[in-house]
Amino acid sequence: MSDPRDSFDTVSDRWERGRVLGLAPDAAAAKAAGGVAAAASWSGTGCDDGAVWGECRGSGATPYRTCADLAEPAFHCTCPSRKFPCKHALALLLLWSEGAVGPGPRPGWAAEWMERRRDRGRAAPAAPAAPAARARDPKTAERRERRVEDGLADLDRWLRDQVAHGLAQAEKASYRLWDDAARRLVDAQAAGLSGPVRGLASVPRRPGWPGRLLEEYAMLRLLVRAYQRRGELPPELRDTVRARIGFTVAQEEVLSAGERVRDRWTVTGSRDSAQDQLTTRRVWLRGRRTARPALVLSFAAPGAASGGRLDASLAVGTEVDAELAFYPGAQPLRALVADRYGPAEEGTPEGTGIGGFLAEHAAALARDPWLDGWPATLAAVRLGRDEGGDLYAVDGSGDALPLRLTDPWRLLAVAGGGPVTLSGEWGAGGLRPLTAWQADEGPVVL
Amino acid sequence: MSAWSDHVTAALLGTERRDPPVLPEAPPGEAGDRAARLLDQAAVLTLRRRAGRPAASGVEVIAPAPGEDAPVVPPGAAARLARILAGEQIRVLPEWLDAAAAHGRRVPARLLPELLERGRSDRVLRPSIARAAGRRGVWLALRNTDWAYLVGAGDDPGGGADVWETGTRNQRVAFLTRLRRTDPGRARDALAETWAREPAPDRAAFLATFEHGLTLADEEFLEAALEDRGKDVRQLASDLLARLPGSAYGRRMAARARACVTARPTREQGRDPAAIAVEPPHEHDEDLARDGVPFHPSGSFMPGNGNGPVGARAAWLREILARTPLGTWTELFGLPPMEIVCLRVADPDGRAARDVHIGWARAALRQRDADWARALLRGGVVVDEPEALAGLLAVLPSDERDPAAADLIRWVDGQPDLLRVLERVPGPWTGDLAAAVVATLTAAARRPTQRDEHALGQLCRLADQRLDPSAASRLEEMGPAVPRAVTELITTLRFRDEMVKELAE
Repeated sequence: MSDPRDSFDTVSDRWERGRVLGLAPDAAAAKAAGGVAAAASWSGTGCDDGAVWGECRGSGATPYRTCADLAEPAFHCTCPSRKFPCKHALALLLLWSEGAVGPGPRPGWAAEWMERRRDRGRAAPAAPAAPAARARDPKTAERRERRVEDGLADLDRWLRDQVAHGLAQAEKASYRLWDDAARRLVDAQAAGLSGPVRGLASVPRRPGWPGRLLEEYAMLRLLVRAYQRRGELPPELRDTVRARIGFTVAQEEVLSAGERVRDRWTVTGSRDSAQDQLTTRRVWLRGRRTARPALVLSFAAPGAASGGRLDASLAVGTEVDAELAFYPGAQPLRALVADRYGPAEEGTPEGTGIGGFLAEHAAALARDPWLDGWPATLAAVRLGRDEGGDLYAVDGSGDALPLRLTDPWRLLAVAGGGPVTLSGEWGAGGLRPLTAWQADEGPVVL
Repeated sequence: MSAWSDHVTAALLGTERRDPPVLPEAPPGEAGDRAARLLDQAAVLTLRRRAGRPAASGVEVIAPAPGEDAPVVPPGAAARLARILAGEQIRVLPEWLDAAAAHGRRVPARLLPELLERGRSDRVLRPSIARAAGRRGVWLALRNTDWAYLVGAGDDPGGGADVWETGTRNQRVAFLTRLRRTDPGRARDALAETWAREPAPDRAAFLATFEHGLTLADEEFLEAALEDRGKDVRQLASDLLARLPGSAYGRRMAARARACVTARPTREQGRDPAAIAVEPPHEHDEDLARDGVPFHPSGSFMPGNGNGPVGARAAWLREILARTPLGTWTELFGLPPMEIVCLRVADPDGRAARDVHIGWARAALRQRDADWARALLRGGVVVDEPEALAGLLAVLPSDERDPAAADLIRWVDGQPDLLRVLERVPGPWTGDLAAAVVATLTAAARRPTQRDEHALGQLCRLADQRLDPSAASRLEEMGPAVPRAVTELITTLRFRDEMVKELAE
């Protein structure tokens, strides 16, 4: 094996090891990849500006063919693993990142796969035209509106029943109470509400649950009423209501008609959550010029490349000059990256004080009352504890926000009693920290 | 707030039973439906509560951690530590920590929680953690009782003289150890004061600290301890006395040893050129037991090194020789150690020479006598107990260790003893020794039998943390078709090689 540094000049833009491992779907895959990333297991490796490929001796008779498209990034491997990217793809990129993969001509199979990807990419804008056409079919759209309306009327009855009979019964109720209601919402094509309703089953197990449950029921009924009066709402608020209920907007529509904002966007945090075998990645951005927050969502279903993949192109602690296209709504938040104008660089976001953040949150709630998980980026906060020992973020003026952390130790270690820039999601339980920037340590994912 | 709690109470009881409170500012809804009215009013209040939530105040901020003296490790080293803590090549963690500390660097703060958590379950790691965790590590450990082991683990002596009066056994041992290193006499006086009141296990633990700063001034105390009620204490006292040249104990042992091992007068040698005659002791008495030679020394009547059990008489002889000052023999034969070990031993039953040499090897180890250790290693004796020889390597001056170990390995190469020898040679294996190990590995990798493959695996596992990482390139010269164990060894060595370079940046 040659010295890694020898080959650095030929391919300029090799990724850091951390960036490769950041693509791993879980810690086990990252660890497994480290084991496969031995030059001895690989043959026929090579790379060019757009792709890396190689064949890996696995347990089977024929080696696995692995190829990574660096632009997206995207991966292809003939192994049967259900993880995505699989350990072979990660290991290949690790070898490449160490400089152990030299440049060369693409073998036929890799070229073919890249070609097929490019074709699909070109075909992609055309493909969703069919469902869009279906949605434009007035009869179909009308049928759905009616079903949703019936479903929400049913939900409204259910909500009023809960309050009429008394919430006290919820404490002993089985999860089926909420599960059945959630199922009926799926049947009524109002799937956007089924997750939140199903999630309510866990509320009666927490302290202070009666108030919390009443809040959620009240906001659900507010949504039902808003939908019933949708004709009278301003168009942006109507979009917000429809999005909450589960009417989706095609990506192409967002890219073509959504509000466009170009800025230097700092990636302030990223969080994966899994529900019903679907992993959702929430990546938070904050514009340096506009101070606007944005949320980029990506989804991955287990094992299937067709189920989409988690977006690994936005790394926490970096800043990228890009134009975002926002989904429509009264408080635009969810967005797509439409265009990039340069590579990502390291960047610390400019945060706000706690008073400023709370005012921003209140203004956002006035536009979208159903907001949950609003992004905070707090500048120069220190950690504090109240008499009960609960952790807070405290700014220079003495304002404090409670933190919601299962493991506070990394944050404590990094802050060490000094000031940090702290990003997180603000919700009913407090601020859930995502990233801390400290002068010596740089960005630290919590 | 009270409007809200009224609403919660009404919702808990149910609007069937209780009329919900009135909220004039709520917009009018469907008339007559109490439940709907309650929900609509609750929505207004919910939003008011969420949007109007004030910041908390009066929270006490956490005091800043003390500044660091040591700079943090370079970014590449920090990234590798994160990999190690995530489980990759976890066995190199102590080496990483010690190397970082040797370069005067510390662990980045963000990795401290995982690192301190490792030390919780692995005591052996703790001193290395303490050296590399910096002040932030101690600051953090003060806030988490699980990591309390780090507090006071570093150079901080951890309390003054009152520890001796009030501390736990471990704290008191630590106190006494420190005192023995600086002022052994005062440590002995402190122990003498409380000696009679201490329980036997504590007496043994405290007496063990006498290995530091051991001098003839301790003789009287140790002689008294030979009469102790505790068996472990007696054994320990005799072991310590055996290390003390010039003691009465040594003279007693020397008298016993000279009764067993004698120089044959030249005129008797005739056809048998042996210069040493051996007659193991015929009986065991109470004085011998008092001086730490039990009736059944460990190893006697036990299946030994494939050579059958060692008889009781031979075992007594070995123990006596192991406890006899080595000066006894240079005086008896009037020769330097190198020539003594080459003297031929009259050996009618094929055992006597071995017993004598093993006894001397144990004595050289115990008395840390480099001349004797060198003589025994070079003299080519005690071939069938190579572990005893491997122990002697530690007695040699550091610059002689690698060549001597390399010789020893070449000598036992290909024998099952090789692993047992190498186990006793501490790392790092560099220079001649590294070359010898590489040669051994190369030879073993070419032997295809299954038994060899097993031995090779064990050898690789032994070498992966001790062998100089630069040996990786020499191992790679074997080519791609090597057993899996060698590939893994090369991977580990490469990992360590990169690690060491990153830390030196």
